Amino acid sequence: MRGHRGQVEGILARLSLRGIKKRFKTTDVLHGIDLEIGDREFVVFVGPSGCGKSTLLRLIAGLDPISDGDFFLNDQRMNDVAPSRRGIAMVFQSYALYPHMDVYENMAFGARLMGLTRDEVEKRIADAARMLRLDELLKRKPRELSGGQRQRVAIGRALVRKPDVFLLDEPLSNLDAALRSDVRLEIAKLHRDIGGTMIYVTHDQVEAMTLADKIVVMNAGRIEQVGSPRELYETPANMFVATFIGSPRMTLVDVTRNGDRLAVANGGSVVTGALPEAKNLKLGLRPDAVKLHRGAAGEGLAATVVYTEYLGDNAYVYARLADGTLLSARTTPNDLYAPDEAVTVTVEPGSAHYFSAEDGRRLTP
Amino acid sequence: MPQLRMTGRGLWITALIVPPLAFVALFIVYPIVSAFAYAFFDWQGLKRLDFVGLENFHTVLFVEPYRSWTINAFKNNVIVFFALMVLQNGLGFILAYALWRELPGARFHRIAVFLPVVLSTIIVAYLFKLFYHPLFGVVNITLKGIGLGWLAQPWLGQSGTALGSIIVAQAWHMVGFPTLVFLAGMQRIPSEILDAVRMETESEWVKITKIVWPLVAPSATIVFTLLFVGAFNWFELPYIMGGLDGSPFGSTDVLGLYFYRTAFGNVSAGQQDFGLGSALAVIIFIFIAIVAGVITTRLRAREIQL
Repeated sequence: MRGHRGQVEGILARLSLRGIKKRFKTTDVLHGIDLEIGDREFVVFVGPSGCGKSTLLRLIAGLDPISDGDFFLNDQRMNDVAPSRRGIAMVFQSYALYPHMDVYENMAFGARLMGLTRDEVEKRIADAARMLRLDELLKRKPRELSGGQRQRVAIGRALVRKPDVFLLDEPLSNLDAALRSDVRLEIAKLHRDIGGTMIYVTHDQVEAMTLADKIVVMNAGRIEQVGSPRELYETPANMFVATFIGSPRMTLVDVTRNGDRLAVANGGSVVTGALPEAKNLKLGLRPDAVKLHRGAAGEGLAATVVYTEYLGDNAYVYARLADGTLLSARTTPNDLYAPDEAVTVTVEPGSAHYFSAEDGRRLTP
Repeated sequence: MPQLRMTGRGLWITALIVPPLAFVALFIVYPIVSAFAYAFFDWQGLKRLDFVGLENFHTVLFVEPYRSWTINAFKNNVIVFFALMVLQNGLGFILAYALWRELPGARFHRIAVFLPVVLSTIIVAYLFKLFYHPLFGVVNITLKGIGLGWLAQPWLGQSGTALGSIIVAQAWHMVGFPTLVFLAGMQRIPSEILDAVRMETESEWVKITKIVWPLVAPSATIVFTLLFVGAFNWFELPYIMGGLDGSPFGSTDVLGLYFYRTAFGNVSAGQQDFGLGSALAVIIFIFIAIVAGVITTRLRAREIQL
């Protein structure tokens, strides 16, 4: 039987998705996903609702059949293998604990079905309970647990099976904000401790950025970009990734190149450093790439302040450019602007992004 | 104690509660209490004679031939209950599971399974009487047609098969009801729980016994209790298919028929006797109330909140 080998001893869990497609009746949900996931990687699928990230996770789990393409786990084709025989465990968004079993039984159920000895089941549950601080709760029923505790039981249930791959489907979305960051840290620690390959689905880019070794950004059934959090933030492959990763979102402005200056329609022009070849561009500006100057007279892009968000340690100013684009800029809390105040925007040299006005792809200078 | 003032709200509540209470009192409480009272008197036709205390109860339970009749009818009710438990509820659970899994044609089958429930009992009884007819019945004709002619027999005409045949008709008639209740119970199980089980096993048997069955326990409570009450109040089908005497030779006699015969009389059983009949009714009522109460409380205890 697969799946009860320890991860820490150096067992490989490599996943390879080749041309994976998913069709529900006549609707195509995934349009050919190619993805390699290495051993012990923490991979996060992120994207807006309906982008197909949860569907892809269910295909990997085996809960839904793959319409086309191949899925390999350690070079073994898994398309037609039953979910319980893939060596994969899953943590569900609603936790999906068995309501009629106590915490111990919830964890023991799957372990027993793997044909483990009674002692081995006991030992694994004891280990998982210690790691997840569930010792005191083993005799409780799920309805007697808080959301965070249920979450830990769901993770424990996956742990005792010692799977090669852990799948987590939006595991934090049912928790309140305070608990969310705690559990996020615990999951990161868990991954360090047990070292299994983890695939984590979320629509929350903060979770993706903080947890992932590798982020897979998905949109409308396609992968937009795969990379480390830093790569995605610093060199987004296209406008979708650029605006999806980072908060507040990157501002995209239509500009025309004029020598070494970029001009906004009837709204001034800026110097941003080395420029790509194209004449018409989308200029991408993160909030920290721009500087605001009071008054309309200066050298730069003309803008009018719409409102200011004060966040304590810093503040964001939203201002409308002459062509109507809403720009976000980070300022210090001491540097607040009144609505309707006229400002001039300049760009920090070398910190702007450029995208093709035609297909939205990243352009390099 | 809070006083209910006759304000507009109080009047409304009173106006809404009084009619149903009056209805229940008149048509449910009063007849039950009357039956209780009748059981303690001697009767001659519709004329009430002396108060006889527990004499009527003593007669139906301990004096022959009533004693044998009571035991025989009760024994048959017990058989009916257990047989229907398997045939009607057991099959209902399996059918519900199949319908719930959305096998091909599920929509058609959902209607097909429930349709007999809508049919009138009279029609079902008559239909099955025709099916079981020794010469022209579809059952025997089919058996002969497939070379099992030695199995063909007068189903309703012999003691060994009559009760079983009527039970099968009842199960066919009502199997849609437990199916529907179980199906509703299964549809309440969150889909992620089923996904979670699939991640741990592909055995349908484990899924059914360890997950689905415990989680439909609330439906089971309802279905078991109603079946128990129904089995011990059984009347229509045996009345139409076996007759008021539970023929042949009392093999299809049940408490309902026996009570009816005793209280209202018939050609073969002789005169009507309200006293004995009421005593029987009271005994049946108390028995059903106690056992149904025990079943409900026992099963409630193992129900799970989803």
